[in-house]
Amino acid sequence: MTKFKCVIVTLLLVFLAGTAESKVYLDVYGKTYKKITIGVPSFQSDRPDRLRVDMSELLNQDLDMSGFFIVAPNSLLDRELTEEGIEKKDIKFTNWRSLGIELLCKAKFIMSNEEIALESYLYDTLDGSLLLAKRYKSRPEDWRRLVHRLADDILLAVTGEKGIMSSRVVFVSGTKRNKDIYIGGIDGQNIRQVTNFHNITVSPSVSPDGRFLAYTSYKEGKPNLFIMDLETGKDIHSEREEGMKLGTTWFGKSTLGYAKTSGKQSSIYTFDAAGRQKKTLFTKEGILASPSFSADGTKMAFVSDMYGSPQVFIRDNSSGEVKRLTYSGNYNASPSFSPKGDLIAFVARINGSFEICTMNTDGSNQRVLTSGGINDSPHFSPCGRYIIYSSKKGDQYNAYIMLYNGENKRMLKLVNKDTEQPKFVP
Amino acid sequence: MKYLAILLAVVMITCYGCASKPVQTGQKPLTAEEQARLDQEEALKRKEREARISEEELARSRAERERLERERALETQKSIPVSDVYFEYDSYTVQPEDIAKIKDMGEWLKANSGLRIVVEGHCDERGTVEYNLALGQKRAEVVKNHLVKFGVDEKRIRTISFGKEMPADPGHNEDAWAKNRRVHFATDQKG
Repeated sequence: MTKFKCVIVTLLLVFLAGTAESKVYLDVYGKTYKKITIGVPSFQSDRPDRLRVDMSELLNQDLDMSGFFIVAPNSLLDRELTEEGIEKKDIKFTNWRSLGIELLCKAKFIMSNEEIALESYLYDTLDGSLLLAKRYKSRPEDWRRLVHRLADDILLAVTGEKGIMSSRVVFVSGTKRNKDIYIGGIDGQNIRQVTNFHNITVSPSVSPDGRFLAYTSYKEGKPNLFIMDLETGKDIHSEREEGMKLGTTWFGKSTLGYAKTSGKQSSIYTFDAAGRQKKTLFTKEGILASPSFSADGTKMAFVSDMYGSPQVFIRDNSSGEVKRLTYSGNYNASPSFSPKGDLIAFVARINGSFEICTMNTDGSNQRVLTSGGINDSPHFSPCGRYIIYSSKKGDQYNAYIMLYNGENKRMLKLVNKDTEQPKFVP
Repeated sequence: MKYLAILLAVVMITCYGCASKPVQTGQKPLTAEEQARLDQEEALKRKEREARISEEELARSRAERERLERERALETQKSIPVSDVYFEYDSYTVQPEDIAKIKDMGEWLKANSGLRIVVEGHCDERGTVEYNLALGQKRAEVVKNHLVKFGVDEKRIRTISFGKEMPADPGHNEDAWAKNRRVHFATDQKG
């Protein structure tokens, strides 16, 4: 164990030497970046129970999942460090620094029957400067949410953008003939089954304003597309024309895009959920699938087999010009625009596996981010820094999250069944 | 609640019968009234019971009818003369040797003119959920088009795609995949 500690300390020190000079914490969009080592000792409280440890452990988990931190193992911290106060005057920063810990998050909480109040500080151990000082309050049973908010704020303080640990996700889960749509926290808490049709229901996505859920369901015996008002749980629109209507995606405020394959031609439509107006955007022979729009709706990526195999194309929606983006391999599908507009994630068949890849919006700079299995349905977080996707290794599909560059893959523990087509709820 | 009322009435009558008789004599009309109410309630109860029985009977006969229909459908399903039509990976072109199979299906449909069918398109697990759902649609439609070419009225054929959602073989090898890339014929129960 001590040997292990030594190795870690050495590693951290080496790491530290490299980052000590600069004061810029993380240049997230640089080509490479170094993770920051952060220490989170058990929270302090007048209550002696496990919650102190549970909260600090959850924060450590969140920070690990963010991909921007190395979380210092608590076994590194001796009694003197863990029993130190949380305010600047109480902290011996050189002790923390000597362990290689660059940032230190300390927190204490007071809990009553009605409320839990958390007081938290984030310090730079180099000079003891305060990066974040914040109080949070919630009902006692919502302590997890409180920790997620702190994690998201730490991300904001360090990287300039909020984290995703308070996010919600929508996904498909169930058994072969019985798939339904669920919405819940990315941490696997508060999972709610939204549909219960005892049939196949797929392709969910929630509108940017969070109000509408679009999905395709076989509940009426054939695949029809619906828009549900999540407030009332009632469908406000349905698309019952013959054929496969699928691949729901939203852009703008509340405009839905989807593809329909039926007969010789396939089409991509838009439907404005507010004005209830349907428009045909694009029609082509063969298959059209998986439309995905840039945030402003000016560009659309989609799949077509117009050259014999599924490939990703991009369309300029004002000029109507269509350009092919993928040329390598005979299976490129499921494109998904980054909300920042700089990247498109997609699925490519490589050596018999289906891998999540990214490319620039002109098709250049293609990168493979996964290795092996059947990976599907990549989808960016609203901040554009993460990709959520499903991955099947063996018999079960699970939802994963990774950084946009493929680093820091983490499985999400949402339900104990197949989890497919995960997307962020805006 | 109703039973309670009846019980109460019975108890009251009994009480009246044994205790109050000597004192109160001018109460006979009330007894008749009670009797009438009792009769009425009895009749209501009987009616309810009868209604329940007839409902049960109805449900039973409905279930029976459904079972017969299902059996008939199964019977017709069994009599569908051809097996599934199989496809190459990521393809929706019918292979030449399967044309004869579709033709047989067409002849059978023409001979059984009252029947409608569903042509189901399926895919193997390799590929994205969405593209496979579209691909399955294409597979179903291409088989339907052949049937129409052989002279079957297209109104009798419904197409549906299940993508990779309902594999015939749950395995993850070439054998299973080959069995799953298929078009399956089923009788249309709605038709």
